[in-house]
Amino acid sequence: MDSLEVSGQTADALRNMSDKDKQELQQFVNNETQKAQIQQTVHNLTDLCFRKCITGKISSGALDRSEEPCMQNCVDRWMDSQMTVVRRLESLQHR
Amino acid sequence: MSSEAAKTQLMDTVRQQAAMQNARLLVEKLNEHCFERCVPKPGSSLSSGESTCYTACMDKYMASWNTVSRQYLSHVQKGPPKF
Repeated sequence: MDSLEVSGQTADALRNMSDKDKQELQQFVNNETQKAQIQQTVHNLTDLCFRKCITGKISSGALDRSEEPCMQNCVDRWMDSQMTVVRRLESLQHR
Repeated sequence: MSSEAAKTQLMDTVRQQAAMQNARLLVEKLNEHCFERCVPKPGSSLSSGESTCYTACMDKYMASWNTVSRQYLSHVQKGPPKF
């Protein structure tokens, strides 16, 4: 991502910020980071599941009766797979 | 500049950049998928059939994005899974 461009004026004001404001900013950054991570996962999953579920000729812009549940199943099974990997790694660790 | 104004400005910049990044990724993915699906053999110009396919493909990809987003968020909101 691009670096943040902050003017000198803004930078000065930020340096003199109260602890309460700093805390609020920290919370804001945490929230935005979490949102960005979720969005990134949604992008990756859409990419992956579109490849698997949308295999026919594309003639309509809407998801048809089989595509919609396929996309939902794709997300659910991806979550299961994720869990399987984590569980397996945990069991290796505790051996 | 007051620290309140600086804070607001910083937050706005962060939000804007996040939105830009999101849009950039979507455009990249849309073109990647739809180019592959709609333009199997690139000719000297985009044919009307290819254009029609592109419109449908983009709508379908965005519909897919929304479905995936809803489904994934429903998992995330349930919280971390119990082992």
